[in-house]
Amino acid sequence: MTNNFDKTLDECIDRINRGESLESCLADYPDYAERLEPLLRAMLQTKETCSFEPSASAKMAARQRVNAALGQLERRRAERQPLFPRVFSWSKAWVPVAVLLIALIGYFGLRPVLFPAAPGPQPSPEGNFAFLISDDVNAIGDFQRLDISISKIGLHLASGDGQWIEFDPEVEVVDLTLLPGDKAQEIWRGDVPEGQYTKVFIYVSNVNGVLKETGRPVQVKLPSNKKLQISEPFEVTSQSVTSFVYDVTVVAAGSQYILKPQAGQSGADQSFEKVVGRGGD
Amino acid sequence: MPAQANTGKTEATKRKEAKLVSLYEEYYDKIARYAFVRIGNRTEAEDLAGEVFLKALESLESYKERGIPMQAWLFKIAHNLVVDHWRKRTKRKIVPIDTVQIEAGTDPAALAEKNIQRERVIKAMEELTQEQREVLGLRFFAGLTSKEAGNILHKSDGAVREMQRAAIEKLRKLLVIEH
Repeated sequence: MTNNFDKTLDECIDRINRGESLESCLADYPDYAERLEPLLRAMLQTKETCSFEPSASAKMAARQRVNAALGQLERRRAERQPLFPRVFSWSKAWVPVAVLLIALIGYFGLRPVLFPAAPGPQPSPEGNFAFLISDDVNAIGDFQRLDISISKIGLHLASGDGQWIEFDPEVEVVDLTLLPGDKAQEIWRGDVPEGQYTKVFIYVSNVNGVLKETGRPVQVKLPSNKKLQISEPFEVTSQSVTSFVYDVTVVAAGSQYILKPQAGQSGADQSFEKVVGRGGD
Repeated sequence: MPAQANTGKTEATKRKEAKLVSLYEEYYDKIARYAFVRIGNRTEAEDLAGEVFLKALESLESYKERGIPMQAWLFKIAHNLVVDHWRKRTKRKIVPIDTVQIEAGTDPAALAEKNIQRERVIKAMEELTQEQREVLGLRFFAGLTSKEAGNILHKSDGAVREMQRAAIEKLRKLLVIEH
């Protein structure tokens, strides 16, 4: 008897948790209604009294930490990808392709091996270069949030050896929904060598998009190498701070979304309104 | 490990990561409420909810997609964090529950009535055992089924239902809700 009552009470709690009313539960169990009612009222009173809305700032800060951890995991995965087991597990049909690739790497790829990029510049608040991210409005309106994790920034120095200056962003995750149009978020500031630069890339390690309409995550496609590169000449001097705005945009292509760089809206000559990210970065 | 197996493992991890991210919006709130009932402090409850997702990310490889639902797994992590929280604290039997803020602009008479009601519920909750509060936390605030709660507490769903009834009956008596 008690066992049956326990099950009925349990069923009613489940129904109330799903949004049904106390009255509809009681109506379905007339034999137990008298005993059920005070217990369910006690449940409702307790729920109502002890419930609270977690603060939006705490939730956002925690979200930012989760996103940063995701970005780190993604990077670690990319670094740990073992090369040799993969190469030796390829079928023989891939051997000519591999030979060709090795030949191409030998021809084009020796320079970076022999002349590796200098150690990356360090961030500094007094630096001569600031790097910002913005979003050219395309399909961003479809998103409730669109977090991109940036793990590397590269600038191609045309003068001198023509080397790539690479560094890690200070802010790794930005929400593009907060950066439409002229709005831009600074993700790195520091000193880079003076000179003429011609190309810029960002390495996007992870994208997490949630659609407004459904509240559900949606896949946003990236180039297979996850590198978004643009050709945009600019100059860095020691006399002033060069603020480079890198514009990223999300476009709808049929049923999917694609993340692309927007060269036309990027550059050191773009006007922008500086904003802070979710975590106050 | 063969390359294919490695790729499969990475794909499975990515799938689980995507699932975890998709649960964040809804379950952060539920976990924070559950933690609040268990530890009685809003700020600590919010911190713990964030910690749950970080812990989940760290141990995602150990999560089996065909085992318990990920939602229930998150509460298992939350439960373990609450246990750790109490281990670190002094051995207090009574857990004071923070005052829940009332929205501005509420009618003073209604506010006073709500305050009285709140005091009564808080006192009643403090009279429950830790285990009873745990069951009510998982059932009322986390919205888990008795079976899912039993999985976390290593008890049968029947035992959870029995504890649940006993806890609510005690609450009812303390809150003086008549038949």
